[in-house]
Amino acid sequence: MSKTILIVDDSASLRQVVNLTLTGAGYTVIEACDGREALAKADGQKIHLIISDVNMPNMDGLSFLREVKKKPAYKFTPVIMLTTEAAEDKKKAGQEGGAKAWIVKPFQPAQMLAAVAKLVM
Amino acid sequence: MDTSGNFSQALATFAEEARELIAQMEEILLRAEEGGCRDDDLHALFRCAHTLKGSGGLFGLDEVVRFTHVVENVLDRLRKGEIGFTSDLITVLLESQDQIDAIVHASLDGGVGAEAVQRSDALIDRLGAWVPHAHEDDDEAAAQVPAEQTEAVSASGGGEIGSEHWHISLRFSSDILADGMDPLSFIHYLSNYGEIVHVETVADHLPDLDAADPEACYLGFEVALRSDADKHEIEGVFDFIAERATIRIFPPHGKMEEFIRHIESAPLGGQRLGEILIACGTLTAKELETALNAQQAAEESRRIGHILVENQSVHPAVVEAAATRQRLHEEKRAGEAKSIKVPSDRLDALINRVGELVIAGSGTYAQASRAGLPELHESASLLLSLVEDIRDMTLSLRMVPIGEVFSRFPRVVRDVSRELGKDIELVITGADAELDKSMVEKLGDPLMHLIRNSMDHGIGSAEERVAVGKPAHGTVGLNAYHESGTIVVEVTDDGKGLDPAKILARAIDKGLVDAGAGLSEQEIFRLILEPGFSTAERITNLSGRGVGMDVVRANVEAMRGTLDIQSTLGRGTTMRLCLPLTLAIIDGFHVGVGAAHFIVPLDMVVECVELPEGIDSVDYMELRDEAMPFVRLREVFGETGAPQVRPRVVVTRFGGRRVGLVVDRIHGKCQTVIKPLGPLFGNVPCVSGSTILGSGEVALIIDVARLVHDVAGREQQHSRKGGPVAAALAPAAA
Repeated sequence: MSKTILIVDDSASLRQVVNLTLTGAGYTVIEACDGREALAKADGQKIHLIISDVNMPNMDGLSFLREVKKKPAYKFTPVIMLTTEAAEDKKKAGQEGGAKAWIVKPFQPAQMLAAVAKLVM
Repeated sequence: MDTSGNFSQALATFAEEARELIAQMEEILLRAEEGGCRDDDLHALFRCAHTLKGSGGLFGLDEVVRFTHVVENVLDRLRKGEIGFTSDLITVLLESQDQIDAIVHASLDGGVGAEAVQRSDALIDRLGAWVPHAHEDDDEAAAQVPAEQTEAVSASGGGEIGSEHWHISLRFSSDILADGMDPLSFIHYLSNYGEIVHVETVADHLPDLDAADPEACYLGFEVALRSDADKHEIEGVFDFIAERATIRIFPPHGKMEEFIRHIESAPLGGQRLGEILIACGTLTAKELETALNAQQAAEESRRIGHILVENQSVHPAVVEAAATRQRLHEEKRAGEAKSIKVPSDRLDALINRVGELVIAGSGTYAQASRAGLPELHESASLLLSLVEDIRDMTLSLRMVPIGEVFSRFPRVVRDVSRELGKDIELVITGADAELDKSMVEKLGDPLMHLIRNSMDHGIGSAEERVAVGKPAHGTVGLNAYHESGTIVVEVTDDGKGLDPAKILARAIDKGLVDAGAGLSEQEIFRLILEPGFSTAERITNLSGRGVGMDVVRANVEAMRGTLDIQSTLGRGTTMRLCLPLTLAIIDGFHVGVGAAHFIVPLDMVVECVELPEGIDSVDYMELRDEAMPFVRLREVFGETGAPQVRPRVVVTRFGGRRVGLVVDRIHGKCQTVIKPLGPLFGNVPCVSGSTILGSGEVALIIDVARLVHDVAGREQQHSRKGGPVAAALAPAAA
């Protein structure tokens, strides 16, 4: 069964490339442009992994993370945060919110696939 | 997988996205300059650079990443309030934004040249004033640390063991599952690096099932891996859980001392762990014995505890702040949801089809009218009016606010006024007036030129202005409004105004007019639109770029628009562009010559008269006491069909003058859907496009401006004085 991955980023081109990469590797991808849309789209369906940007308009990545982790359906869903900010406070806030995996932008599609494969069998 | 097509699609998305982000940066920077920059603007500004860098990196646009990284650092400091906006900073950031634009495009077009890289370097140097260089390298420095630590571990002494595979010992913090980390998937991932020889599950910490928390992880694993990977790679597998697990990696033929330490540190007792290691094949029984002996010998037992990550607890204040923000976003989003984005080529295809539908509709209507069945006629009429509604709605889809063009000018005015050393303010009004997107694209260049012209020639220096009692800072106005089916765009300035005497003198000097010609003020002003006219005494690098007002006029006329000039000496000048709202459908005037059909744009048609008899030999006629030149379409297009006994003259107004077109028949007004001519006919003079009539016949759309110019040119070649059409066009001979 194909695993479903939710990608949340305000950059349409980034989503497109991530989508292509993941779809090519056999995953099913759901795209959302910010936290709010992600929450709406996720709504209850089985998601095996969430990849989210930190810095987004509307609902940013950390707020999204807190919200999504409150939902029982996603309590155990791994989250990869995409960030250019290695800043410790952001990272700490993210970890408290439940994000333990980070990919630093800019990244190559192969790096992302590797990270995904570690978290999703 | 074949994703190259999709990839280039993604690249196109990126190009579009980059354009929007860069435009947004500019808008914010300009707002900042006026002091109107809000806190969320700073975040948005940072986000622009952030996204550009992130997406650029994904596409492998290294130069974009390198450069935006520095810009992002500066914007990050701005956003955190560590530095503030200064005029210099804004200037550098604006230039940086231009540079991002340039390198994004260069990257997409094949590669960034050395020159562009130099420009990036120069800007990075200048940006360096706002960002300490040390900051830049933080990330990389941090990334290096763990590798060094691990080196130190493996360098410690002790005898080698015999095993040829890696041994990996994993102990997880109990809340790792709640973090979304599944230990199994990491172990599974290990198989990417080699063969997993053995996995031993360490379940010693499992409590009584009644007392166990089903969401906690109590298991540990000892894994034997046969692999050619190096230690760094294997460590990399676990980098997401490194902080919440104790991971020990022993290389093949590892040092015995390390195993001793491992066994010592095992909370479940060395004996038990030792058995596991034997089960994995990592240690032999003999090796274990040695190790256990060593453990007993050790006087102190150093225990390495698990580093437990605190439970996820969210502070109530944070939740509340998030909820408030969410509400605000909900409101904002309600506004956003009112528009959707559609690729413009799809819209063009739709408009094209609707055009066909209109033609087919009127064809059907004409047939139905002839059939003489009232019911059929009625339903065809209803159908046609619905189709026309759809056409209007479809065309309105492509309407965009003219503000899209206007938005680039604050920057232009800012840069140009700096360059000129003048203090000039741009006042924009009517930015929400709408017109067709294709017009918006074409309007940019003429407006740019008019504005530069106003700033350069129209508005004098501060001293000159003060001397005549004007405020020291000049004002250039950009205004748009709708007027009877057209859009009017005005560029005004409160500068010196046009001096008719000076223009006339210059025109005479240039040989554009005869000294004795009695021209009205309007006619004199229009002289500046003639090729080869330039009033600037010196060529500045702004408006005197070799692109004259004549090019502006040609551009405007190509859009079937007109350019009017109003000016009061000493008070200022207004350049008024009058343009149709769309280029896709026009109101046409359908005429026939011989067997052929032609369409004249209706807005150029003034009236229709009969051609007086007996003037076959001349090309002008009298119309209300004025001489009006005319062109015989029959001759221009070489029509040979039987001539009409009494030809008609369609009087057209063009460039403030009247010119007659002699035709055989007048069919009347019709909606004309413009179809571009194929490449074969692209260079046919005097024809700007074609259309299909309701009857299915093709009609050519006459480019009146070109036609009259061409005919005038031909006449001038024939006789030195020029024929009547040439005379009508060249004010000198009027």
